[in-house]
Amino acid sequence: MTGIIVLIVAGALFVPQYGLFWRIRRRRWLHSRQAVEDALAHLHQFQHDGRPASVESLSNTLGTSTKHTLVLVNRMAQLDLVVMTGQGMRLTAAGHRWALQIVRAHRLFERYLADETSVPREEIHARAHRLEHTVTEAQVDKMDADMGHPAFDPQGDPIPNAAGDMKEIESQKLVDWPAGVPALIVHIEDEPPEVYAQIIAEDLHPGMVITIVDMSPVRVVIGTPDAEHVLAPVVAANVSVREAPIEGVEPAGVPLTTLEHGEAGRVVGLSPACQGLTRRRFQDLGLTPGARVERVMQSAFSDPTAYRVRNTMIALRREQSDLIRIERAPRKEQEIDA
Amino acid sequence: MTGNEIVSETSTKTTAGEDILGRVEEMQRGLDGSYRDEIVEAIYQDAEAITRKVVRTSETASYPWDQKLDRIVTSRIWGLPFMALLLGVVFWITISGANVPSSLLAEGLFWLGARGVELFEWLGMPWWVTGFIWHGVYRGLAWVIAVMLPPMAIFFPIFTILEDLGYLPRVAFNVDALFKKAGAHGKQALTMSMGLGCNAAGVVACRVIDSPRERLIAILTNNFMPCNGRWPTLIILATLFVAAAFPPAFAAMAAAGSLVLIVLIGAATTLLVSAVLSRSFLRGEASSFTLELPPYRRPSILRVLYTSLIDRTIFVLWRAVVMAVPAGGVIWLLSNIHAGGQSLTVWVSQWLEPVGRAIGLDGVILLAYIIAIPANEIVVPTIIMAYTGAGMMIELDTMAELQHLLVNQQGWTLLTAVCLMLFSLLHNPCSTTMWTVYRETKSVKWTVVSGLMPLAIAFLLLFIVAQTAYWVMGLAGW
Repeated sequence: MTGIIVLIVAGALFVPQYGLFWRIRRRRWLHSRQAVEDALAHLHQFQHDGRPASVESLSNTLGTSTKHTLVLVNRMAQLDLVVMTGQGMRLTAAGHRWALQIVRAHRLFERYLADETSVPREEIHARAHRLEHTVTEAQVDKMDADMGHPAFDPQGDPIPNAAGDMKEIESQKLVDWPAGVPALIVHIEDEPPEVYAQIIAEDLHPGMVITIVDMSPVRVVIGTPDAEHVLAPVVAANVSVREAPIEGVEPAGVPLTTLEHGEAGRVVGLSPACQGLTRRRFQDLGLTPGARVERVMQSAFSDPTAYRVRNTMIALRREQSDLIRIERAPRKEQEIDA
Repeated sequence: MTGNEIVSETSTKTTAGEDILGRVEEMQRGLDGSYRDEIVEAIYQDAEAITRKVVRTSETASYPWDQKLDRIVTSRIWGLPFMALLLGVVFWITISGANVPSSLLAEGLFWLGARGVELFEWLGMPWWVTGFIWHGVYRGLAWVIAVMLPPMAIFFPIFTILEDLGYLPRVAFNVDALFKKAGAHGKQALTMSMGLGCNAAGVVACRVIDSPRERLIAILTNNFMPCNGRWPTLIILATLFVAAAFPPAFAAMAAAGSLVLIVLIGAATTLLVSAVLSRSFLRGEASSFTLELPPYRRPSILRVLYTSLIDRTIFVLWRAVVMAVPAGGVIWLLSNIHAGGQSLTVWVSQWLEPVGRAIGLDGVILLAYIIAIPANEIVVPTIIMAYTGAGMMIELDTMAELQHLLVNQQGWTLLTAVCLMLFSLLHNPCSTTMWTVYRETKSVKWTVVSGLMPLAIAFLLLFIVAQTAYWVMGLAGW
């Protein structure tokens, strides 16, 4: 008897969708800032891409039923954030402004997480998504200023400034790019995550210069200065490129790791994959173009390796020294330097 | 000027200001990311030009000495053994050097205590005032000073010399590969060596790690390096149960060797816990690692003495004294307040007995660790006090007396010693360290984790060790 009562009570509380627990959660969610902001971000994205947003597209993105999405949309209409038009929902001026703030917070957080922390690349989007709902406009302004008003997020999406303006750059899908012509990666789409994970696995970053080596309906082979990467066309479609500037953005030369024991070289530049904290540290240490680097010592476990830069010995791990591009000094110069 | 004019003046100023801000904004938009690089490059170019003009370097700008030394201390074959040997030598000097001054200090301070008691009796103070002040507070204080001051006054200067010499960054360089595998930062090795002196100092030292994730890992695991306060316990156990098995000439060396082993176990635990943390709650890749290896320098004696004695020894000792005074009082109160014919000490330790037994210890030891949360230095004196029922920290003149008390009367075995050493190594940090963790992380959550995580690990490991030992002993019919 008691068992049955417990079962009924538990059912009333926890049956998926209809249980009291889920109802309360949903109700709280519908009234939360996150629900409104996620909806705004979705509408903004669609409007930006020139696609009509509808209640269906919204409930797909939010993962809620049509009924609850309608409740949410009505609430947003009351708050004067959206209006219904013949072409579906549109953001009002206030809605648009708010939406830009969320986009701004999201992309700034992504920039911050990528540059200053060691959060794995595939987790950055999800973390930024959680954090974007927790800050005020003033806090976002401060973050923007502290980070020096970055113009792009790590995927190459423009970050709006306080007034809502952003730098748009023209680009083409990698799959439409002619083979053999050097191209600069300007944007990498981070959704869906499964596709993004494959791009991360190939270690492609905005700012890299690549060339299409071979393209067929089943695979795209691209070349970077150090390696060749094979992508499925559906993956390559998420990479956008434009014409590479005459001076390659990717510094030429070879990675510092290729230096043999006792050899010396000169720094050509830092890889575009090297941003934020790491880049600043390198610059503080004097790893600027033209600086002489000599490999002097290897640790007991063969990694890290110590280099002499500007009369200081600095130990770097393999991953870091891969980011520093150098030019091997010719034999003659090495003798003079020594 | 009339009011209106002022208003119009300010308003034009504001528009001018806004104009400028607007232009700044516009220009900022026109910049691409590389302008920062250009600024840094320009600064370096200027600096180079100036140095070329004003700095003259000798023709032979080579580093023969440094390179030779580096070849040994970072060698693939010799690097790590050299490190362990150095650690052993430092411990050996500390243990054998601290023996005599420690017993002299103890003698002197306890003699002074006895005179204090006489003075109070002559003044006609009630027995509980005399007891609380001289047998409680004063003896706690005396024990901490006698036990801690000599080893610290030896260890910290040696450590500071190694630091000044530039050897510590080489240690970080040698072992970084291990930390990288654990998802942590090689500089954690520096903060760990600091922790050998004092965990609170080690936690503060974690500031040298730039990345917040790796810094937090270093903070949370610093406790697995036995600090100065825990050494007395470890040294006494090493002397009683390990060194006793060796001829007297090698006793100090054997004790130092077992301490090195304990530190290595601590280091292994640190790496293991770091690896688990960076794959669970603190997920992330190893981030930026740059480590400067400064040239070797001759340590300046005055600076070494100042840093090690004033900044470290006195600082750590003062903190221990501040913590030991109330702890000494608490011990005295617990032992002298009786209920139902037994002192509170007996009640609590009886209640803790089953838990203690399950992990190879006993109730008295656990009670001592609870009282010693503010300062681990007083663990051994508290245990002795509870065992003898003296109601105060008594003075045991020789190791032989201590051995008689622990082994013959209280039935301590090698298992008790091993378990107690492991517990001392792994258990929760002292309250000062936890307070420092809070100050460094500004997070109640991580402070609680830093306290409970080591405690849970200690209980789990000891439970496994003790139960396995009981089981094996049962099989062998002991």
